[in-house]
Amino acid sequence: MVGMEVAGQYSNIISARELGVVACTRCTQVWPAGTAVCSRCGSTIVARDAKSLQRVWALWIVGLMCYVPANLYPMLRTRTLLSVQEDTIVGGAVELMHHGAIGIALIILIASVVIPLGKFMAIAFLAISVTRPSSVSNHHRQILYEVVEYIGRWSMIDIFVVAIMSSLVQLNTLAAVNPGRASLFFALSVIFTMLSAQAYDSRMIWDVQAKQEGTTTDE
Amino acid sequence: MSDTPEPVTIETARKSFASSASFVWIIPILALTIALAVAWQSYNDRGPLIRIEFENGAGIAKRETELRFRDVAVGVVEDVKFTSNLKGVVAYVRLDKDVAPYVDIGSSFWVVQPELSAQGVSGLETVLSGVYIEGTWDGDVGPAQSEFKGLSDTPLYRYGKEGLEITLRTTAGGSLTDDSPITFRGIEVGRVGKAYISQQGSFAVAEAIIYHPHSRLISETTRFWDTSGFTFSVGPGGAEIDFSSFATLVSGGLTFETFVSSSKRVSDGKSFEVFADEDTARDSVFNASQAEPLQMRVVFDESISGLAVDAPVELSGFPIGRVTGVSGVIDADAFGDERVRLNALIDIQPARLGLTEDVSPEAALQFLSRRIEDGLRARLASASLLAGGLKIQLVEEDNPAPYTVQTGDGIIPIIPSTDNDISDVTATVAGVVSRINNLPIEELLDSAIQFLNSADTLISNEDLRETPKAVRALLGDVSDIVSSDDMQAIPVKLNTALGRFETLLAQLEKDQFSTQLVAAVNAAAAAANGVNASVEGVPDLVKLLQAVAAKAETLPLEELTTQLTSLTTSADAILGTEAAKQLPADLGAALTEINATLRELREGGAVTNINATLSSARKAADSVATSTQDLPALVTRVQAVLNQANQTIAGYNKGEALSREAQSALRDISKAAEAMTSLARMLERNPGSLIRGR
Repeated sequence: MVGMEVAGQYSNIISARELGVVACTRCTQVWPAGTAVCSRCGSTIVARDAKSLQRVWALWIVGLMCYVPANLYPMLRTRTLLSVQEDTIVGGAVELMHHGAIGIALIILIASVVIPLGKFMAIAFLAISVTRPSSVSNHHRQILYEVVEYIGRWSMIDIFVVAIMSSLVQLNTLAAVNPGRASLFFALSVIFTMLSAQAYDSRMIWDVQAKQEGTTTDE
Repeated sequence: MSDTPEPVTIETARKSFASSASFVWIIPILALTIALAVAWQSYNDRGPLIRIEFENGAGIAKRETELRFRDVAVGVVEDVKFTSNLKGVVAYVRLDKDVAPYVDIGSSFWVVQPELSAQGVSGLETVLSGVYIEGTWDGDVGPAQSEFKGLSDTPLYRYGKEGLEITLRTTAGGSLTDDSPITFRGIEVGRVGKAYISQQGSFAVAEAIIYHPHSRLISETTRFWDTSGFTFSVGPGGAEIDFSSFATLVSGGLTFETFVSSSKRVSDGKSFEVFADEDTARDSVFNASQAEPLQMRVVFDESISGLAVDAPVELSGFPIGRVTGVSGVIDADAFGDERVRLNALIDIQPARLGLTEDVSPEAALQFLSRRIEDGLRARLASASLLAGGLKIQLVEEDNPAPYTVQTGDGIIPIIPSTDNDISDVTATVAGVVSRINNLPIEELLDSAIQFLNSADTLISNEDLRETPKAVRALLGDVSDIVSSDDMQAIPVKLNTALGRFETLLAQLEKDQFSTQLVAAVNAAAAAANGVNASVEGVPDLVKLLQAVAAKAETLPLEELTTQLTSLTTSADAILGTEAAKQLPADLGAALTEINATLRELREGGAVTNINATLSSARKAADSVATSTQDLPALVTRVQAVLNQANQTIAGYNKGEALSREAQSALRDISKAAEAMTSLARMLERNPGSLIRGR
């Protein structure tokens, strides 16, 4: 809401490049355009990361690839005295729902399915919107990016649950919970989507707008 | 705004984008490569999918139920579906690649479930882990197959349980317990599988397996019988309950025995019969149903009741067949008369003849024909002493009438018959009884009684009692004339006769101890001789005794008496001695003793104590002999008297009448002596006649 208002308020935002300066992404020191190395922290300064999109897409693809087996393979392997149960993420959620634990099922579904899928789509949207004009305002896309980056780490909650369960429920012959193969892939998927989100150079959002605005101003 | 470096950087960036792609692309490429590699590998490692059709699901679960071979998982069920017509359940099993080639056309599959039976618990592990599919196949790669029909039960023949596969079949009216053990000497050596009823419904058939190496116990002549349940019998040995083992008592079981050794090994698929008990099984060896029986017939000359259908036909005591029909036959053309003959139809089992090579009716007929030419004959014999009934025995006969068996189409070959051997024991007993019955005991007793009666009559005769007196008178009368010359010749004759008697006596005395009987007879003979030699009148008595004993009572007593009377009148004086007087008393005592002995013989055990009787008789005879021992002395005296008489008679020429009388008396004495001699000889030859009275 605030963002919307902010976006509404500051519809014409001038980027640093337009001002002929470049900011260090690490220590936020602003330098004149063309400075290669930040004199304060020593990190490399570029106005725009040219390979950012490549990295985003590459990591995004790996994350997506990992997400497929993460959903096909069982996440949790529960062995009790009489039986061995292996559940995939969705299968486990459905089973919980059958047992009446709809709340938990929803949490699992949101944390393990909705959020990762949303992240994939958000990152893809952001990456595409850099090159193609979008109806979504630059400001909204910036907020989206920040949400994606913030929420990414919470996707690991599944992995935490599996890890904690596996370490706690080890009652020898009576019962044991072991992580399934999907947990590894799920963790990889989360890691790669997080890396993908991080690789995104959010400054490019403004370049597109600048172009749009430039063209509009030119026209 | 007016800065120019910006487009330059973009330009360079675009150039570098095309020329040098980010290294980060390696990651997805690597991931993709790995994924593809893994995918390819898993695809490559994946074995074939086979389809096993079961009657029901039996707890088979997708991706859970394993396929096991020798208790090692070699596959997993990927899917369970119904067959198209819902008549069964199909389990799709993903095999492990390394065992897949072995799962060939000969494989079989079944579901292992927990099972509780009388033999124990099996498949217990599946209670916790769930069922699994067990498969069995051999170690050879055969023609591949991907669709199988699952077995409803655990098969008998499987890996690690190899053995001889046979088929068991119940006999008519018999029963069979399926899924039960086959034991031998109490050890389980095989199993009976699922039984089913034959198409005709007449018997039950079950697959069975005899595990290696016990399968070598099975041969063609092996017989199986049921050991299930128990038998209860009450007999002379007490009540008896018999069952082979608790397991078989509850669930049934079979056992077997090879009664007749046979070298013929049995191959898979051989069919055996299951008998109700051991006896039936044993009998069946000789009643083998594997060969057609040879039908023959026997015609017996006599029609004897007792031969029934199913009576055994035996060769050397060994049952080789049975009687299948009995009828009477009258065939004047064939047998020459119209007597009713017994026609017995018999079935001979070729297998029981012990033919080594070809067990067939033809071979049996050939064998029997040869034997019949050698003298094999049929006869009727008693089957059982107690139960009676008859059986047919084939026996070898010495010097039989030659006979050739006629064979040909429509001709039932005939086994010639011979004399029957019926009721052996009965006949023997009867024979013994009849022989005892035929013993002339009655006659013997009658003879003895007659003899004794006659003797009694003789002895109690008044005239005889008077004899010594008369003889004494006679002797007194003739004492003067006995020394006559005419009488001289008499002593010579007498001497010779007496000499013979004495030698005979001596011989008899010598032989006295040879046998009891001979001794007794000898004694009796000696006594008789003594009597004969001592008294002139006595020989007649002895002769009469002999005649009486010989049951030839031809000599009338009256004649003897008159003769004696006539003799005594002339020889009265001679017998006036005390010794002569005593003689009849001694004889009487001896005869009384004999009488008593014979009475004892008659009254007592008769035949049983013949020995005692004989010894008694001997004693009696001895007594007679003793009483007559002093007779020779008497005889010498008589001789002296006679000499004197002879001289007297010679001196008396006119005493011719007396002389004639004396001569006739002497002739009589001479005759008597001769008779005595013959008696003695006869006794010598046949001593028993004294006892038997003839």
